[in-house]
Amino acid sequence: MRKFFLLLLLALCLACSRNVRSDGTLDSLPPIWPDYAGVTVPCNIAPLDFSYLGDEPCRLLVGDRCIKGKDGCFIVPKRLWRAQMAADSLQLTVQVCRDGKWLSYQPFTVYVSRDEIDPWISYRLIPPGYQGWQMMGLYQRELAGYTERAIIENRLTGGNCMNCHTYCNGDPEKMVFHARASFGGTLLVNDGSIEKLNTKTDSTLSALVYPYWHPSGDYIAFSVNKTLQVFHSHDPNRIEVYDEASDVVVYNVHTHEIAWSPLTKAADRFETFPTFSPDGKWLYFCSARAVAPMPQEYKGAKYGLYRIAFHPEDMTFGDELECVYDAPLEDKSVSFPRISPDGRWLCFTRHGYGNFSIWHKDADLWLVDLQDGSVRELAGVNSDDVDSFHTWSSNGRWLVFSSRRDDGLYTKPYFTHVDADGKATKPFLLPQENPLEFYKRRMESYNLPAFTTGPVETDAFDLVRTMRDDAGINVTVKQ
Amino acid sequence: MNRFALAYREQQQLFLFDKTYLLGTLLKVGGLSTLTGRFIVQFFWNPTIALCLTVLLLLLGGWMLWASVRRSFSDWVLLPVVCIPFVLLGASLADNAVYFDVVPAWLFAVGALWLYNNCTRARVWKGLLLTGVLYLAAGPAALLFAVCAMITDAFRRDWRGTLYPVLGLLCGWLAYRLAWVPTLAAAWTPALYYNIDAPLPAWHWTAWACLPLSVLFCEVLKRLKVKRWVPLVAGLALLGGTFIPAGSIAKKSELRQSSLDYEFEYYTCREDWDGLIEACMHAPWLPRTANYLNMAFAWKGELSERLFTFDQRGPSALVQNTPDRGIDVAMSHLLFTMGNIAAAQDVAFNLFYSLNGMCPAMVKINAQIELMRGTYAVADKYLSILEKAPHYRSWARSHRRFLYDDAAVEADPLLGNGRRNLAAENGFSMFSDPVGELFPILDVNPGDTRAREYVLCYLLLMKDLNSVKHFIEDYYQGEKVLPRVAQEAMVFYSEYSRNVEGIEPFGIDWCYDHGVIHDTVLRFIAYQQAAVAGKASLQKFRGTYWYYLIHTEI
Repeated sequence: MRKFFLLLLLALCLACSRNVRSDGTLDSLPPIWPDYAGVTVPCNIAPLDFSYLGDEPCRLLVGDRCIKGKDGCFIVPKRLWRAQMAADSLQLTVQVCRDGKWLSYQPFTVYVSRDEIDPWISYRLIPPGYQGWQMMGLYQRELAGYTERAIIENRLTGGNCMNCHTYCNGDPEKMVFHARASFGGTLLVNDGSIEKLNTKTDSTLSALVYPYWHPSGDYIAFSVNKTLQVFHSHDPNRIEVYDEASDVVVYNVHTHEIAWSPLTKAADRFETFPTFSPDGKWLYFCSARAVAPMPQEYKGAKYGLYRIAFHPEDMTFGDELECVYDAPLEDKSVSFPRISPDGRWLCFTRHGYGNFSIWHKDADLWLVDLQDGSVRELAGVNSDDVDSFHTWSSNGRWLVFSSRRDDGLYTKPYFTHVDADGKATKPFLLPQENPLEFYKRRMESYNLPAFTTGPVETDAFDLVRTMRDDAGINVTVKQ
Repeated sequence: MNRFALAYREQQQLFLFDKTYLLGTLLKVGGLSTLTGRFIVQFFWNPTIALCLTVLLLLLGGWMLWASVRRSFSDWVLLPVVCIPFVLLGASLADNAVYFDVVPAWLFAVGALWLYNNCTRARVWKGLLLTGVLYLAAGPAALLFAVCAMITDAFRRDWRGTLYPVLGLLCGWLAYRLAWVPTLAAAWTPALYYNIDAPLPAWHWTAWACLPLSVLFCEVLKRLKVKRWVPLVAGLALLGGTFIPAGSIAKKSELRQSSLDYEFEYYTCREDWDGLIEACMHAPWLPRTANYLNMAFAWKGELSERLFTFDQRGPSALVQNTPDRGIDVAMSHLLFTMGNIAAAQDVAFNLFYSLNGMCPAMVKINAQIELMRGTYAVADKYLSILEKAPHYRSWARSHRRFLYDDAAVEADPLLGNGRRNLAAENGFSMFSDPVGELFPILDVNPGDTRAREYVLCYLLLMKDLNSVKHFIEDYYQGEKVLPRVAQEAMVFYSEYSRNVEGIEPFGIDWCYDHGVIHDTVLRFIAYQQAAVAGKASLQKFRGTYWYYLIHTEI
């Protein structure tokens, strides 16, 4: 028995020997997935496991350590990864065995940023379908590890639809999301209390839809939309989600009242995707000249970026609308404005038309420098496919966004580092243990990824009970 | 029990030999029974196997229950009584919203009862342990065990058995409190084994109530000092009587969905078009049946030729054109057959998930359409999933050769045709009418004969002869012989156009130039003579377009 353990120890030592021979080099970078070559990661991220896509036996050199590939997959031990994260970068070399010789691909570097990333993200997992949602839920994922937890799943709520989960400054104690169909309503979690809101009023087009919290936590801006969707018969974009009408309103979490300005609820315009500035004094939103009939004129809806002053002390609005970015002037449209916590950068999605960019292959992330009003692409981040919905980390140095770059259909969360000058690094995919197998097996899209500063601890039981049993509070219009 | 309804359960799930699937299924309340049920249902692709397996499992349950309550083999007279709950359980299975998990859950419960009744030492501890473990493994069926064990203990004057139902209820409450199950009803009752989107119909309680009642009855019978034939006769009478409520339960369950659809889907999924035609011929006048029947004709390339081999009732016999075109598998199959690939995917993707997981037929359609689109990474994803299911492995592997090989896709009759159809000018699918959407498809792919036949037959069934004429001019150019029904339509319309004002007249020469043969003209003369002679003489023309045109109201 003792001999056996000695042999095992020897085998382990050989498997991870510190002096690994190389019989030659290859001129190219290794074909790997996910493509982590040259990415920048936060120092508190989980190990970036990845797969070599060739068929040969392979191994990975991390510093002076060697990791044997299992079916092409390199599982980086957590302790080794942690140690490597102390440096500014780490170099990874993939070796493959061809004709009995170990050949080294060109090494690649993973840069390590000292800017920590928020420890959790949450997202909705849903098949990237069009109307069906039999199996879906809101989930959260620890970024330093691989733990995924359900916040709430619709198997507990009659298979209804849940969407638009949003947090106040990433605070997991302040969350809002909607439930549609059975047990419908808006659930608002606010420092331990859970409220169900019936948000349709006689004065608004619909129940409240796309939310954004005021930094004070006292208000939430919402759009109200008459949203429909159609399926393209022969278009790479597949789906068109469009509004026949939409407005922007602000909800007071204490009085359960909503209010709006005539400038956010104009009859001849579509207003949507509201966002507060970090100081809470401005309400940004997207607005387009109303077009009809829909969906025939769907390409005519071009949204620009506007803002209006908001007075949190009395829940009133300014008298003027300011155009921040006149995208229609460039024959473009914008969606999902999100401002960095330092108030410097406004990141938005830019695309050809409409507002539901997640189905637009030309959707890319762009930045507005709110200091000088200049607008530019978030270079180095975008792909040929959809790059859309994004949120900032609480320190304003990381962006998480949804991208369909891998297969064109299933969105996955990518992360990029944005420095003080608004320069972004090559994004990296949410790490998984054996990501190739994991993402191939996952049959859902990651929807609306959002950073949180900790895990959502709200009891799923309480959420379910409130959703199922609570009659809900009727939202009223502020007089 | 409708064997096709049972077989359809195989289409309501995709059992995967995959760690994520196995663990994900197992680590839920009643996970072991769910996993076992789904494992069994994967073999239901054959309706006879489905029926035999189900009957065998129910018989096994009856035997295990008998083994639990008998004192010796001489108690065989109790057999009819123990079969009663399983007859009712079988009847409940006619409702496809009842998960098949309920069968293994019952088997586990009865198995636990057998184990419990055969142990003599530390019975209470073992009973409590069985209740707890059973709750995790089989869900609320643990309460069935608990109540049955309590009853058997009560007849031994051991009242400690009351602890088991208490523990079962406690386990249920805990599962509810931990949000493992949505409601207390799901935690404590058969609602856990029923479609979460629908309330559990009351009649499904019958079987559940009968299980402890049959145990109670057996215990009473065992203790009656009567002749042996008395319990036997009583049991047989009860069992015989059970078939009345069982029949009623099955009927109520089947009324909730068309049992015919299950049969049609069975043949459709296997692409057994002759089988589908035979199945449809029992009631071809029903619109949905006609949809399937015409679809089978289309796949065999005989749609127009066999269009009037049964009484058509208007264009809805081809595809129902309602404003709210339902999201159902039939619609996806129909649109796929018609060549409206994008619309087929719109429906198929929404049906990707069925009652208990992925729907294999819809995953296959999606995989095929992704290959047509050339989105190979997504196709690869779907093929990988199908490869994890033994029954679909070979199909998936046979389609791997198309991945990243445009030439192979384009050379394949089905996939190549679909790809050509997808090249049509963009529009919104399912926005106008499903047949109208085929025109742009035919413009880019006039070689899609199924699409062409669907449009032709749709226009014929609409009795829109002017459109038929233009369609023939545009899409049947160069055809030497038109489909017979189209010939009949044009011969009629030619004469009609010459006799009715407001229609551009065209002569019989136009007909001859566009694929009408002389025999059709002669038959039309005979038809006209028969029409003058009276309706009885027209019987031999029932299979003609003329008869449909004049005598069928749409």
